[in-house]
Parts: sequence; C-alpha cells; structure tokens
Amino acid sequence: MPASHDVKGIIRHVAEIIIEELKLEDVTAETFNPDMDLVDELGIDSMDLATIALVLQDEYKIVIDEDDYPKLKTIRLIADYIEEKISAKN
Amino acid sequence: MKTVSTLLDKDWHERYRRISSLNIRSSIYDVTNRCNLRCKGCFFFSSGEHQAAQEEMDIKKWEDFIDREKARGVNLAILIGGEPTLCMDRVEAFYKRLPTYCATNGLIKVPREKFPDLMVGISLWGSSEDEKTLRGRDTFAISSKNYAGDAYTYYLYTITPPQLGKIEPVIKRIADVGLKVHLQLLSNDEGVNGFSWREGELKDLRSEMDEMLDGYPQTVISSKYYHEIITTGRMMERTFGWNECPSVTESLDNRKPQPRRLINFSRWASDLKTVHRCCTSATRDCSTCKDGAAHMSWIMVNKREHMRSTKDLQGWIEVYEMFAKLYHFIPW
Repeated sequence: MPASHDVKGIIRHVAEIIIEELKLEDVTAETFNPDMDLVDELGIDSMDLATIALVLQDEYKIVIDEDDYPKLKTIRLIADYIEEKISAKN
Repeated sequence: MKTVSTLLDKDWHERYRRISSLNIRSSIYDVTNRCNLRCKGCFFFSSGEHQAAQEEMDIKKWEDFIDREKARGVNLAILIGGEPTLCMDRVEAFYKRLPTYCATNGLIKVPREKFPDLMVGISLWGSSEDEKTLRGRDTFAISSKNYAGDAYTYYLYTITPPQLGKIEPVIKRIADVGLKVHLQLLSNDEGVNGFSWREGELKDLRSEMDEMLDGYPQTVISSKYYHEIITTGRMMERTFGWNECPSVTESLDNRKPQPRRLINFSRWASDLKTVHRCCTSATRDCSTCKDGAAHMSWIMVNKREHMRSTKDLQGWIEVYEMFAKLYHFIPW
C-alpha cells in the first residue's frame, strides 16, 4: 500500500511504479520529471499504460477506465486522476 | 535517461508524434470459406481452416457482430477469407462501420461507386509463370485491369524463392499500372517443391528488396528495417517465434511469460464464433513463419526496446509509418 495519498506522495509512488514496470535506468523517483509527456517523450504505448494502470488499480484500490488512458499523459496527471478517484470513494 | 527528444531531431520527432497518437487496434475476419482460386501454399486451405467453422449466412448477424467488435475497441477490420469479394454484402457491413481493409486476389472488382475509399490489397505471387504454377492462372492480367490507377489499392507481393533476382520486372509491371506494392515472403506451408527458402537466399533477397525500395520509392511501400527483420527473423538479439509473436488471438493466448502483443487482437472464423490461433495458419511452424504482418507488428509493439539508439528508433518509426500507410492511417 502506498505511504501517502496526497498528490505529492502519489506522484512519487507513480514514478516508482513506472521505473519498476518499464525497467527504466538513469532515473529515480526524485529525478523523474512529473510533467514529462509519457508517450511523446518516454515512448510508452497503450500496453505499457495498461500494465501500469493494473498496478495502480491494485495499489490504490481504484478502477482506471481504458477510455481514460489518453488523459494520463504525465505522472502529475496520473496522480491528479488517482487523487480524484480516491476522493470520490471517500 | 534516454527520451524521444534526446534520440530524435525535430523532423523525426514530428514523424514520431504523427504515428504515436494513432493507437491502431486491428482484428482479422474470415469473411467466407470460399474462394475462386485454389493457390498452392495458401494457408487457409492447406491447414483446413476453410472447414473450421460453418459460414454465417445471415447478414444481420454479421452487422450485429461488427457492432460488437467496434464496441470492443477494434478500429481496423482486416478482411481475408476465402475471397471476401464473393460476399460483398459482408464487406459492405464492415465498410459502413469501421475502417476496413479487404485482401483479395483482384479477380472481382470492388465497385468504387459503393466503396469509394475501401482499402484493397491484391495478392500477387510473382511473375506470370509463378502465378500459373502456384495459382493456376496469371491473376495480374485481370487484377491490374480491374484496379489500374486506383488510389486505395496496392499489391501484396508474396516473394517466392524462384523470384530471387527477378523481382524488378514485377515491380515495374505494378508501377506501370499506377499502383503501389508491399513486399512479403512465402512461408510455403504446403512444401511445394522448390518454393522453400534455402540457406543464403534470404540474405540475397534482403539486398534485392532494399534495391527495389531505393529504385522505386514511389511504388514500393516498405522499409529497410522491415526487410532486415523479415529476412533474418531476428530483432534486438531476439528470434521470432511462438514466444515472441504479437499476433495471437487474445482469448487463446496463454503464453507465460506474456510477450508484448497486439491489444484486443482476434482472428475470427466466418461463423463469427470460432477464433483461430493467430493471424495465419495454426499448423504453421512459428519458427519458420515469414508472415509480413506478424513481423511488422512484432517491431511495432516493441517500441521502447527501440529507444536504445537513434538508428533503432528511426527504424521503428519507418516500420510504423509503413504499416500506417498500408492501411491509410497516413497518406502514401
């Protein structure tokens, strides 16, 4: 379970998940630019997003609709999305 | 960290952006079990797939099925067969609902007044002599009359070993009738004598394919990186085969570990219930499969693996552009 549900904490945890799932080198959760375009710059595709989404769903106990994938362009946008989902649940 | 902009200059990055937003989700449909040709080496008949399912004859059921496919997220319908043009009502049902590509032998002309921008790929198996040997007739003589100058049609030229050193006249014939061509290789499922690839031939073929692309850039829709992968079966120190193929029907894909694959991909039989294992014959030995679409997709689904160098990522972009052009997601 992630340590923090505030946006800053979520950003850090999403970065950790992306680094782990995509086996990224030369970057840490601290140095990962949360505003980097994940498709346009990092080169992730819909299969990567689906993999990441599965982990996030499990970690945060939320549902990420596949139709929402195009919105999840950066780590910050993903964090905002998760935060909204968590708030809506509570 | 390597990113797209550290690897690409402005022009290449723009090309990358154009294709990275496409998100193509294709599936393949056997429109019918019947064909007006019986070609040696056609996997559909040699593997008995024409008897795998009883053809659905009710057009309403086809329409409902296509609506469900669209709802499933499919945004490119690839129609194969049998010969799809024997069932124009089914082709029309797809065409009205989805971007549709129709693979045909070209003997029956798709009426353009009804299907103005239907993408058509005409199968061609080489020279007149090879066509007569493998297909019983020179189909080019008919298909080229049916489709000369058509802006939405290209030839899908399956190169066979006897064609080595003789590809150019075929390309010229196609250029002369104002059409385009994409190149792929025969897998020789039926073991026709003299039509299996031998040691060394594929290396020569790769050079010849490269020469055709250089010599006829307005006619040949291809890329040198695709030529490399299709002739070597190797990509990024990996070998093509069952454990790597991306074009396996999703509901039948129980491979572990799961390789990168086409999302939502299925190949449906004409009863609209049965699915086939993959985009080609289930009896084919995957280690010798030369299927062009499967190799293209293999490259495309492995995008991040191509981010290790500028050359690799440019190769990936060229293959993706080739695929997008073949299905008219971007212009020729």
